[in-house]
Amino acid sequence: MNSTTGFTKSASGIIKAIESGSKHLLIRRFTLFYPQKKLKFVGDGYQFDPQKGVGIAGTRGRHILFHEKCTGCQLCAITCEGIAEAIEMVKITESWKQNKKSIMPQIDYGKCVFCGLCVDACPFYALYMTNDYELAAFTKTHLIYTPAQLAVKPQYDGTVEIKIDDRGAYHG
Amino acid sequence: MENFDYKINDTQKLGLEIIKEASFDDRLMTLSVGPQHPGSGHFRFVIKIDGDYIVFCDPDPGYVHRGEEKMAEYRTYIQNIPHLERPVIHDSTNITYSYSLAVEELLGIAVPRRGQFIRAIASEFNRQIYTLYWLAIYGIFLGHSTMFMWPAGDRELFIDLMEALTGARVTHAFNIPGGVRNDIPNGFKERCLRQVSYFEKRLNEYEDIFYNNPLFRQRTEKVGILTKEDAIKLGVTGSVLRASGIPYDIRKVEPYDVYDEIDFKVQYLKTCDSFARSYVPFLDMKESCYIIKQLLDKMPESGDVRTKLQSNVKGQSGESYKRVESGRGALGYYVVSDGSPKPYRVKISVGSFRNILALPHLLVGSKLGDMPAIYWSLNYWPVEADR
Repeated sequence: MNSTTGFTKSASGIIKAIESGSKHLLIRRFTLFYPQKKLKFVGDGYQFDPQKGVGIAGTRGRHILFHEKCTGCQLCAITCEGIAEAIEMVKITESWKQNKKSIMPQIDYGKCVFCGLCVDACPFYALYMTNDYELAAFTKTHLIYTPAQLAVKPQYDGTVEIKIDDRGAYHG
Repeated sequence: MENFDYKINDTQKLGLEIIKEASFDDRLMTLSVGPQHPGSGHFRFVIKIDGDYIVFCDPDPGYVHRGEEKMAEYRTYIQNIPHLERPVIHDSTNITYSYSLAVEELLGIAVPRRGQFIRAIASEFNRQIYTLYWLAIYGIFLGHSTMFMWPAGDRELFIDLMEALTGARVTHAFNIPGGVRNDIPNGFKERCLRQVSYFEKRLNEYEDIFYNNPLFRQRTEKVGILTKEDAIKLGVTGSVLRASGIPYDIRKVEPYDVYDEIDFKVQYLKTCDSFARSYVPFLDMKESCYIIKQLLDKMPESGDVRTKLQSNVKGQSGESYKRVESGRGALGYYVVSDGSPKPYRVKISVGSFRNILALPHLLVGSKLGDMPAIYWSLNYWPVEADR
């Protein structure tokens, strides 16, 4: 290839690249403005149906514990033993009819890997996961959620989805 | 004041010693690339240069060795899933895919047909996610920052789909011996088709801005030639092997699950250079979009996705070896069972570790400036190679 044709080819390639890139000046940004806007998730979080043996799709955020269903069987803690060692069974003050030993899981989110296998292990529909993923805290002890804290249903108000039209994709 | 003088003398002495050491062989200069190098990942290679040419290369992996194989011996078959996907979190479905296949063969578990399709779809998504991440880093390696931003942004399309499907953005823990953890959510098929079709259009723009860009082509064409014979001799795999003119893909050679029903071509190039090694994953991404559409089309409308298992399932004593095509090539698991709920031995055979064998072969004799273009074209992921 002689130098003149080589130069024209290179120049046309660069011009084409600039042209392709500069089209994007007119397209809406793909960026999600995170703290102001939040993504919309499927359902209320990951759940599991022990009768069918299949999970229900959802985001794996922090857990929710239903005190009226938990029997203190420790299956969630036994499963977590080989994974993250995040679940510890602790004594609770109130007494429940189905929970003779009065123990319930306490979860350390400094250790949890959000795999959701504890939810799969629970045979009593007592432990699910929720959409709440904003768990940042100033100290490590604030990351440990007691059974009372886990019983609170979180409020999550994400509405943003990826939208695609003929001009491109954007979060809106 | 006296003290101050003493310090200066000491420093000068030290400096002289360093100069003496360095000028011992004044022709060669030794460079340590990594492990804190912004590009090399958790991996170091020592190179010696003579002027501008590399004359010696010594790869030094092992900085992120975690003992995954030993850890797997102390956990049950299902508890192994979350930690086995840690070596390559961008491709976590594929690294648990072959483990699930091996354990299923060992324990004699059948997977429902719908489960097989969902598994294949998730694995294709993950291959896209990995390749886009790799391409983004390849772009920034060669100083092309637009090529870093675009794939990193478009990766979000697939991460969004995986989030809807599995509930997690990177470490999905989705494949499990016996199928998948959950069924697809409502309206997932339409969402998939919309985002995958959009991504296919975006790939054409990648070609304009990156692959047809003369600045990129001049840096990669005819650089780091790995001939067909050398590729076979060194035992490389995946896109590196396919760029050397060998159409070898595990999905075609040893079809697993539903891949024997899917129509696709094995993408390969015969130019054997860094450009081919960077272009083959791109062609794979195009082909992968086509595969995803077929999988969504052929998937049964309803049915089970998972065979119900006990939490500490036991099997007959025996061994099995299964492999899948991951983003970096063949990824195999060798699992031995002695009849207890925990595996007796788990051996992971990864594509990255095979591909790095080609690095000294390619670097010696090439210029120092070509080093990033050659190194990252090998599709190497240090964390996966160290396991």
